[in-house]
Amino acid sequence: MKKTHWMFTILILLSLVLASCAQATQAPEATEPPVVETEPPAEATEPPTEATEPPAEATEPPAAERKVATFIWTQEFDTLNPLYTNMWFAAITHQLWLSYAWDFDDQGNPNPVLITEMPSQDNGGISEDGTTITLTLRDDIFWSDGTPVTADDFIFTWQMTIDPNNTVAQVSPYDLLTSVEAPDPKTVVMNFAEPFAAWAGTMWHGILPAHILRPVYEAEGTIDNAEWNRNPTVGVGPYNFAEWESGSYARFVANENFWLGKPAIDEVFFRFVPDDASQVAALKAGEGDLGTFIAYSDIPGLQDAGVNIVTVFSGYNEGWYMNLSPEKGHPALQDVRVRQALAYGFDRFTLNKDLLLGLTVPAATYWDNTPYAFPDAEPYPYDPAMANQLLDEAGWVDSNGDGTRDKDGVELVLRYGTTTREIRQDTQAVVQQQYQEIGVGVELLSYDSDIFFGGYGDGGPSATGELDISEWSDTTDYPDPNMAYWLCSEIPSDESPAGVNWQYICDEELDALFQLQNTQVDFAERQATFHQISKIVFDKVYWLGVWQDPDTFAIGPRLQNVKISGSTPFYNIYEWDLVP
Amino acid sequence: MTRYIIRRILQAIPLLFIISVILFVLMQNMGDPLATMGGRTITRSAERERLTRQLGLDKPIYMQYLYWLIGNDWDKFDRDGDGIEESPGIRKGILRGDFGTSLVNRGIPVTTVIGDRLPNTLILMLTAELVIILFSLGIGVYSALRQYSFMDNLITGISFIGYSMPIFFIALVSMYIFSVNFKRWGLPYLPTVGMFDPQVGKTASEVLRHLILPVFSISFISLAAYSRYIRGTMLEVLNQDYIRTAKSKGIPRRDIIFVHALKNASLPIVTIIGLDLPLLLAGAVVTERIFAWPGMGRLFLDHLTRSDTPVVMGILLLISVAVVVFQILTDITYAWLDPRITYK
Repeated sequence: MKKTHWMFTILILLSLVLASCAQATQAPEATEPPVVETEPPAEATEPPTEATEPPAEATEPPAAERKVATFIWTQEFDTLNPLYTNMWFAAITHQLWLSYAWDFDDQGNPNPVLITEMPSQDNGGISEDGTTITLTLRDDIFWSDGTPVTADDFIFTWQMTIDPNNTVAQVSPYDLLTSVEAPDPKTVVMNFAEPFAAWAGTMWHGILPAHILRPVYEAEGTIDNAEWNRNPTVGVGPYNFAEWESGSYARFVANENFWLGKPAIDEVFFRFVPDDASQVAALKAGEGDLGTFIAYSDIPGLQDAGVNIVTVFSGYNEGWYMNLSPEKGHPALQDVRVRQALAYGFDRFTLNKDLLLGLTVPAATYWDNTPYAFPDAEPYPYDPAMANQLLDEAGWVDSNGDGTRDKDGVELVLRYGTTTREIRQDTQAVVQQQYQEIGVGVELLSYDSDIFFGGYGDGGPSATGELDISEWSDTTDYPDPNMAYWLCSEIPSDESPAGVNWQYICDEELDALFQLQNTQVDFAERQATFHQISKIVFDKVYWLGVWQDPDTFAIGPRLQNVKISGSTPFYNIYEWDLVP
Repeated sequence: MTRYIIRRILQAIPLLFIISVILFVLMQNMGDPLATMGGRTITRSAERERLTRQLGLDKPIYMQYLYWLIGNDWDKFDRDGDGIEESPGIRKGILRGDFGTSLVNRGIPVTTVIGDRLPNTLILMLTAELVIILFSLGIGVYSALRQYSFMDNLITGISFIGYSMPIFFIALVSMYIFSVNFKRWGLPYLPTVGMFDPQVGKTASEVLRHLILPVFSISFISLAAYSRYIRGTMLEVLNQDYIRTAKSKGIPRRDIIFVHALKNASLPIVTIIGLDLPLLLAGAVVTERIFAWPGMGRLFLDHLTRSDTPVVMGILLLISVAVVVFQILTDITYAWLDPRITYK
């Protein structure tokens, strides 16, 4: 046994030494400037006409004075290449080291970052017919290795996105572009076949450094396996990437040459903490300066510990999607009076007050907290008498005395499914109890997310129409209002298994309005169309809001000057500061 | 012995093949890898169609298994959706050492994904195993030598309490006591999560400090079971005739306990350790999650919930191979501990 113990001891010591030596990340050394690529750009781009000097080498503050902010991330990035991820935790990190062409401030206004101004028809950036959009790049933006950012980088990003050899997460909306042109190194011209209204909310969320990735593409025929995807030593933004250790952390150090000014915080350290309770403990212990997606039940405890809670709307609303398939859905749901009765019979106000601690309110429309929501819509009040009256009028009565309404031999029992998230399961229990009072039976079903959100081809319960009511929280192309869930063409079937209209709703008027808004580049016209859309969805109860679902950020007492935007939370991170 | 080992290895090959088939089929029914690729929204239909085709998820399950096993560089694929299969495959298959790439961390080889986490798991789990073995030996032997004494009863009581507590409870309670509350009370406190303090850097002392609570949580439960087991086997051996003979020959008590009794009592313990060791590679799912320890348990859970078949299969196959190898090593250890045991 002695030998066995010695063996264990040696193994542990060896592991400790290897682990600490192999990836030693002493904080003082972390301030080294990012690696400068020695490889020349594959296709050299012209320097800007009035280019400012390339960035000089960074000067690091002494270790003792370094300001290191720790952000707790409950999910680890899947990749750092913006083309390969739709993950929120990865996408918003890009704002640190791979700036969007424009972002949105905390009031939801677009804010040019890589470009000089937002294109519009007034300034000639958008053509009369709405099919051509011209971007003018700033003169003073450089990649972290000193190479100027040019229109070629935009063209390369577009080419890589639509290239079938790259398994990118999302081709849309870049596949709508017929071409991207660069009349000069600082001008990007996007040509669409048809006007595309949603461009501001969906495009250029991070661009690729062509001088780094083009040689990879030319050598391998794809950028799927590029080292840059995981180790992006060249970026453009207020911070530069330093390192990412799988499962543990990622570090970003301040870009001394950021064109809007050197960030006040020297280093941002993302720690991956998958457990919500551990995140809360770390925030209370002062080991995290920022946390996200805080459960409502944890908010009072955090506030007691001196942590500030900031909620911002990013278009998300928790709601019910009604299955209106004549073949797969419950027949009662075909009648709008039954759907309205379900709205009247569900006390969402008390649910928000009790289960969500009064921190939220029921959502009236899918577009709540955006300029596109129908302004006169108020959530259906809790009125069980009205619910009973509507159900009676619709012919659903309890004819056999079993406590549940029925019609033509069919019992009014609805299959209500959602994910295993605790608050949703609590909501299910409340609904089951309240609907008993109006004679509606509810069969409760809950699933893991990867099963619940499975597509039609994979037998996902919502996609295949197994459920009468599906509940989840979703948004549009926020801050853009566009979405595809109610398009007739998106109804899934054996021939079209990828469809996302899991409500099986085909309302021709609604469909036509959705098609129309997609081409309306004029804001007022588009807003008017969306008011019609949200009124139809509200009146016909195609979707029933359960609660408005803002993003919750926990801000530690050391962090100062924090402003958070719903769509691009870190838009002013270079202004954030840490106090002792 | 050599022939025995060779025979065991040869027997393991069809076993591993059968295991891989079963696991692969099970994984295909664990969920839809595209379900979570849309981020916080549902994956759009056109993107779903394209990714299904590009990632080869549109192929029948037996073909996907075949590609995983022997590669797909002998076949051609339709990557651009024009209906023409013109792009050659690039995978070599696990039989040629290619475990594929992760669906979640697109483009990253499975071996890299696993290799990044394995050292962290070994640090945590080997430390915990060492603590468990050392303390359980001490407690087990002590209890056996003082059967039914006050201390024996006390240890037995604590063991049962420890054994009956869920690990997440121990982990969270210890975190709140020793980290959150100790800090609030102005006492020396332990860190809550991670492997090191970013302000200090990843040093050996930092890693050791961050190891304390996770190791405590893992050890507390296993310690109870192990010490009870050692107590029982020690009591059985201490009543054997050869122990009485050794005592009558005047051999010092310490030698009787640690040389004659413990060596013989350790035979069944070796079986348990032999079964436990390969599972160390799998990490501790709950503990790693709560303490944000970047190990294999978390990796497995994260990729299982996103139906990342290549990574999950890589982890499961690694554990399967480890089980086979450690069983052979256990048999060899048997023979070393008990010369009466021979293998043909």
